[in-house]
Amino acid sequence: MCSRNRFRPRAWASAVVWLACSTLLQAQSPELPTGPVQAKVRTACTECHDSHIIVQQRLSNKAWSREVDKMIKWGAVVDSVDRNAFIDYLSVSFPPDKAPEPGERAGPGKKK
Amino acid sequence: MLKTITRRGFLTGISGGIAAAALVPRFTWAAERGVEVPGKAGMIVRSARFLDLEMPAEFFSSWITPVPHFFVRNHMHEPSTFDADNWKLSISGEVERPLSISLRELAKVDAHTITNTLECAGNGRGFQQPKVPGVQWQRGAVGTARFTGPRLRDILQRAGIKASGKHVMFRGLDEVPGKVPPFIRSIPIEKATDADTLIATHMNGAVLARHHGFPARALVPGWIGAASCKWLTEIKVLDQEFDGNFMKPGYRMPNQLISPGGEVNSADTHAITSLGVKSVIAQPGDGSSVSSRPLRIHGAAWAGEAAVARLEISTDGGTTWRDARLGSQQARYAWRLWDHVWRPQEPGEYTIMCRATDDQGRTQPQSAAWNPSGYLYNAVDQVKIHVLA
Ligand code: HEC
Repeated sequence: MCSRNRFRPRAWASAVVWLACSTLLQAQSPELPTGPVQAKVRTACTECHDSHIIVQQRLSNKAWSREVDKMIKWGAVVDSVDRNAFIDYLSVSFPPDKAPEPGERAGPGKKK
Repeated sequence: MLKTITRRGFLTGISGGIAAAALVPRFTWAAERGVEVPGKAGMIVRSARFLDLEMPAEFFSSWITPVPHFFVRNHMHEPSTFDADNWKLSISGEVERPLSISLRELAKVDAHTITNTLECAGNGRGFQQPKVPGVQWQRGAVGTARFTGPRLRDILQRAGIKASGKHVMFRGLDEVPGKVPPFIRSIPIEKATDADTLIATHMNGAVLARHHGFPARALVPGWIGAASCKWLTEIKVLDQEFDGNFMKPGYRMPNQLISPGGEVNSADTHAITSLGVKSVIAQPGDGSSVSSRPLRIHGAAWAGEAAVARLEISTDGGTTWRDARLGSQQARYAWRLWDHVWRPQEPGEYTIMCRATDDQGRTQPQSAAWNPSGYLYNAVDQVKIHVLA
């Protein structure tokens, strides 16, 4: 899927397909810490975005509950019996007093 | 400041860019390695999907930010397909003659160039205390580039703005997941019809790269980055501010000062428009050990629609301040580079600070006005360094 597009003037002019390669991208998502709902959070919360945006947050329980409810409203599939466990897991894993996430640098991509 | 580019060069650029877009911007992945982003090596990855890339502080050394170092802020997925033949920009709403323009037609409209410092409203959010949710940007969700394209007002005038037209809405081709509200925002008609507001098709003389909104984006100079909608496909003239998530509650500032961590009454807020006065230290880097004497301290300062008038440096944690030298390169909406040569007397720990003042008399505060989304962070920047013997 990620193979190089050939430059074919007619073909690309009518429809250029940009390859997002989203399934492979998931593999680059930072690990979520172990915990009771780790697997469920990974499934529900890395559907639209990867886990970078989650692991860099440093939030109180109240702020995490707002985030989880906002994401559910936006379409995250979270079983209602799991909502509180999600919030507890995220609040314990990414609390305000934890050291900030070091910024990872982008690599140049494959050179051919 | 305004420069007209030749029509021939512009058209060549467009077709060349379509070819380039087909070949270049895509991700490749290597197992056990970090995120690979061709054309953006060395950028700080705040998010891989959606792509959010921050410029590291050391890259603040160039007045024009090269495209590979220009920050990327995406709210959603970038368009996965692009059909050059069928791309249209529609103009509708409170206009006499709704119309839609192809890429070729857009390329025939007189183009202008604006050198603009584009900054994400959330730049510096990572420094807010207490912490707030959002991309945890530090210094580098900002860059300066030359943007080129037709004036938005020339396109709006073709459609004929009705007297009822008060705001101009932009919609891009971002792909919206689930039930997420689409990224649609509006700007007031006065700014939309300003001679410097563009539909940009080029950046630093090259066709817009995919991450920066190919084939066309709004360019609303001096304003927060969110105003400059990427992958533009629809412009609509409205009789009032657009009503949607990214206008409200998104991108609003409280009208009153909020105590850190406090609650905001959403009725008592306003939409964020222009950037504030701000500066950052490029080098020395925070936490670095330095041995050179003299030591060159340098960085950048900007003020949205206003002009930077002064940049001061403190090397003693804010007790005394000295003027830094402002760089000679300048343009109305662009940052000024600055530098200062310092001879530390003794080895030891030092806190270096920088503080900008603009021509409206605004000075960077010691601590930024806290707000629940961490917008417009502009506190005095500071780095702690260790001076070696
Ligand atoms: C339906 C798609 C979708 C799902 C599923 C989803 N998110 Fe999000 N999330 C988004 C979007 C879109 C944004 C970015 C909004 C922006 O940049 O303005 C976002 C942003 C965030 C942010 C950054 C702060 C913010 O509010 O912008 C956090 C934290 C977050 N998501 C956590 C989660 C968690 C935890 C889950 C699982 C419960 C989750 N997300 C599931 C769409 C989703």
